[in-house]
Amino acid sequence: MATKAYDKSFREEVYQNVDSGEDVKLCMQCGVCGITCPLRGEMTHGPRQLWALIRAGKRDEVMNSPDIMLCTSCYSCKVRCPRGVKVIDVMHGLAHYALEQGIVPRKETAKFGKVFWNSIYKTGRVDETEVPMRYTMMAGPVHGIFAMLEMMDIGRALLSHKRMKFKLGPGLPPSKKIKGIRGLKKMLDKAAAMSPGKEG
Amino acid sequence: MTYFLYPGCSLEAGGSHYLVSVEAVAKALGLQLKEINDWNCCGASIHYVGGTELQTKTLNARNLALAQKQGGYDIIAPCSSCYIQMIKAAHEFEDEPELAAQLNQILAEGGLNYTGGVKVRHVLDVLYNDLGLERIAAGVKKPLTGLKVAAYYGCQTTRPYGEYDSVEYPHTMDDILEALGAEVVPFEHKAKCCGSGIFFTEMETCAPLAGGILGEAAEQGADLIVTACPMCQMNLEIYQPRLNKMLGTEYDMPVVFVTQLMALAFGGDFKKDAALDRNIVSAAEVLKKAAA
Repeated sequence: MATKAYDKSFREEVYQNVDSGEDVKLCMQCGVCGITCPLRGEMTHGPRQLWALIRAGKRDEVMNSPDIMLCTSCYSCKVRCPRGVKVIDVMHGLAHYALEQGIVPRKETAKFGKVFWNSIYKTGRVDETEVPMRYTMMAGPVHGIFAMLEMMDIGRALLSHKRMKFKLGPGLPPSKKIKGIRGLKKMLDKAAAMSPGKEG
Repeated sequence: MTYFLYPGCSLEAGGSHYLVSVEAVAKALGLQLKEINDWNCCGASIHYVGGTELQTKTLNARNLALAQKQGGYDIIAPCSSCYIQMIKAAHEFEDEPELAAQLNQILAEGGLNYTGGVKVRHVLDVLYNDLGLERIAAGVKKPLTGLKVAAYYGCQTTRPYGEYDSVEYPHTMDDILEALGAEVVPFEHKAKCCGSGIFFTEMETCAPLAGGILGEAAEQGADLIVTACPMCQMNLEIYQPRLNKMLGTEYDMPVVFVTQLMALAFGGDFKKDAALDRNIVSAAEVLKKAAA
């Protein structure tokens, strides 16, 4: 019976372009990561299978897997992996790579994460009033208002317990910036240009 | 003893009671805390959505460089997410010379430089190893006798390096709580994940994780859950009504920071030092038990 060779192009793509992607090479397919994951019941593949699919050249299955963005970053797999694979960093790297190609593995986390990162890039910190507000309003003018109303109980509780600063709305008043924000932006831009798959 | 305090974004807002109580405990035990001037966010758990790995390392390298420039004291990062991001960057800077060179090339864009060596510490590490249980016990004026607590470390408090405690079966917080006079109940979930940084956006998916933690604490007869991570505190506390709805449960379990109980046991004020008025699921009732 004729056998078909694996397509090696995707694995090379992962090794070169995905943060910590080369760690996939270390995996010996024992499966400790998958069974250790607190969300194993929610994952279709889990890390071990994803690594196998990468090696087998199954680009679509990997890039479209919601699993790559379901990692809670609990580091259980990382500490148990006998090969020392940076499981979490690879999962995050894959999610980042997919998002860059316009694939959205988990919609809400992708939206929230984007607002979160923008806050860091623009101000140097995460404003815990501003970020959830902006995220909620991303649902659109009508849905956003409803989503905001749904979160009112939490907001009120946090406000009245001195665990949140008051804002009328996103940017009202604007979040404070760190003093070195210009330098930080320059650093982040430089780091982006030096990241895997971005050189040259 | 002087340390840098890296409060992180959470301790300035949702975890403000952590900050107040960390400062009160430091004062009671004679620790000097200096805030790293002009620190930036560590990137937290969902940094990867918008940033690359190198960008996240840059965020942390900038803080390490600032700390070095401002005195080089050990950095206390009470938030577990800050702790993990910063210690990862610090370790990888030491272990990977190529990365270290890259980071310094990047830091130079903002006129900074880092040569390595600054230590990143969790608040539990400093309390347990630098101060020690004897000094903690000696500071207790109002022991928490009769209070049953579940010590919940969460996932990122001791992982991935296990610098000061076991990554699977941590005990430092158990021991500290016992030194305060509390009864620590057996707790299988002590280092299990609550949903962490994706809890808010994946609540239905993560609800069973948080439910398991609250459930075991209740089953073991704990009066409250004690944690050392602002994300755990937030996820387990403020979303309890939503979790109850999703899981069909009726939890009303206070979730407090270990430093809040320490501040109280050291004779500090309920509000001013322990900031226990900032807990949304109030611990006032169960704490009366201990005072009685």
